[in-house]
Amino acid sequence: MSSNQLRKWVVRGYIILFFLYLFGPLIIMSASAVNTSSYPTITPWEGTTVKWFGELAANDRLVNGFINSLWVGIGVVMLSVPTALAGAIMLMQVPEKVRPIYYTIVVSPVLVPGVIIGISTVIFWERFGSIIGLDYETTNNPFFLTIVGQSTFISAYCMLVFMARLQRFDKTQEEAALDLGATHVQVFWKVLIPFLRPAILSSIVLAFLTSFENYNTTVFTMVARGTLTTELAGLARFGVNPSISALAVVIMGFTLIGAVIYEIKKRREEAIIDASKKRASMKRMKETEASAAQAAAAA
Amino acid sequence: MSSVELDQVTIRFGDFVAVDNCNLTIESGEFFSFLGPSGWGKTTILRAVSGFNEPTEGSVRIGGKDMRGIGPNKRPTALIFQNLALFPLMSVADNIAFGLEVAGVPYVERRRRAEELLNLIALPGQGDKMCSELSGGQRQRVAIARALAVEPQVLLLDEPLSALDLKLRQRMRTELRAIQQRVGITFIYITHDQGEALTMSDRIAVMSAGIVQQVGNGSEIYNNPATSFVASFVGENNAFKGKVSRAEDGYAVIDTTFGPLRGVNNRGLKEGDDAYLFIRPEVLRPAGAKDSGADTTFETEALKEEFEGSFLHVFLKSENPEKPYKMAIVNDANVTRQAKGSTVKVAFDPERAVALPDGELADE
Repeated sequence: MSSNQLRKWVVRGYIILFFLYLFGPLIIMSASAVNTSSYPTITPWEGTTVKWFGELAANDRLVNGFINSLWVGIGVVMLSVPTALAGAIMLMQVPEKVRPIYYTIVVSPVLVPGVIIGISTVIFWERFGSIIGLDYETTNNPFFLTIVGQSTFISAYCMLVFMARLQRFDKTQEEAALDLGATHVQVFWKVLIPFLRPAILSSIVLAFLTSFENYNTTVFTMVARGTLTTELAGLARFGVNPSISALAVVIMGFTLIGAVIYEIKKRREEAIIDASKKRASMKRMKETEASAAQAAAAA
Repeated sequence: MSSVELDQVTIRFGDFVAVDNCNLTIESGEFFSFLGPSGWGKTTILRAVSGFNEPTEGSVRIGGKDMRGIGPNKRPTALIFQNLALFPLMSVADNIAFGLEVAGVPYVERRRRAEELLNLIALPGQGDKMCSELSGGQRQRVAIARALAVEPQVLLLDEPLSALDLKLRQRMRTELRAIQQRVGITFIYITHDQGEALTMSDRIAVMSAGIVQQVGNGSEIYNNPATSFVASFVGENNAFKGKVSRAEDGYAVIDTTFGPLRGVNNRGLKEGDDAYLFIRPEVLRPAGAKDSGADTTFETEALKEEFEGSFLHVFLKSENPEKPYKMAIVNDANVTRQAKGSTVKVAFDPERAVALPDGELADE
């Protein structure tokens, strides 16, 4: 075997190992979801079944947790995306000297451990609520606390997304709109928001997913209730059964469908842009040819 | 229709003086250009007229009305940005109709108006395209249409042709001038390209270091420059440095390293003043038999020649080896060529040579 061939096999082996490392656990877990064994395993294979999916649907705690997760996620999106947008726009407006300080402050929640955010959210609202005279029911509401608590750092993530996009914003667009008589509000809605649309979409997805999978903060702020993540963790403490694998299969299924839809949409948009570019360059070519022909005729 | 008045306008950014005590009246319907090297106050003036900057001192008046405190969206001006600033996510028609849209004009009406303007800029029926599908010159015209759509009294243009290639730039010059004459509104044009300024403008203000050096029409500025900067910036010029030895009858004689040379003295130079004499390349000519005046001829060495068809350019040795003098001789078929290194006697008409006080020269 030549050294060249050897190298080829080493590379192939490495690639196989790499993908096994990435997807191996997912494959085993997916398989264990349809094994009859009452513990999630694939050895021994005791028989194929879908009963764990049924059990999953019948598990009230998980189903409720899932619904709670959805509500919290929606709440976090509604709170943190506008906050993040405002924060990112503010960064563009503050004087250059203050900018690094401002940036450090607004991004710092990303660096604070989730546990601390969770505990401090609970304590803060209990005290603060009693000072400003809110009733205990409000300040101790698990949804309120979780949405507020998660948003402290999720809005910072979203802000990073907005900042990246805003850095590419051409200020003269804003000035051009103002110059044409638009009010500042019109500039915001007709020029800035359309430009930020991709960033808005990705920060919505980012905020929702981050909220959905959060444990550290949520475990404190949900008080007596639970989200899917905290319920799962609780379940794992008392030993697991394959309905967890079934849940994983369901989640992976949704993720996969989402990713495929996104990819198809993106490719379609790119195809449209390509086509229009091609049309433009063809036209330009024709124009230059025509003007060259004219020049030749004139000569 | 309104005139634009700049009344003792000074604009400072911290310690930096971008515009220094500028006094100008731009007549209504005029094509007025600010000409000067990059980085000195021209754009700042434009932004002060359109409302993006307020003057530190003095006032900007449009149609006699003081504009202080009135935002860019409330002024009767429209600005065409250097990078055009078309809205990339909108169609051509939506771009043109943007000003009408934000003013609350209904869709059908503004679409009709956009179509009219597309005809004006010779792009009929192209309203549904995206701006990215247009060529550079077409986008240029869309930017003009977008500004005209709001029916401004004053159109401000910030070096709008600088991004175009030479051919297109020359065509757009003619087109801009034609559009201005068709719509009849005041155009204020900013450029560092003197060709643009000279061909299009009714009047030009030459600026340097935040100061308006001279205001006048093209031929005034070219033939009768007011300062050494204008003389050296507009067109090509040969500068002879020296001291005034005699000043009489509207002429000044300046002692230069090439001997005493005479030129028109419109700026009140007195004996003993430091001064420049400016003689354009086309004013210099090889001395003939009847050229005998001591202060209208000089001798120097011919360095090299460049033949350019209509002109023969002869480079002559000057004080500064980096900047030889230039003589442009009209090619009348029997033009005599100068041998390299030979001494030539050069003559000029003193009434076409300009004596000016010592001052800043434009570096090229």
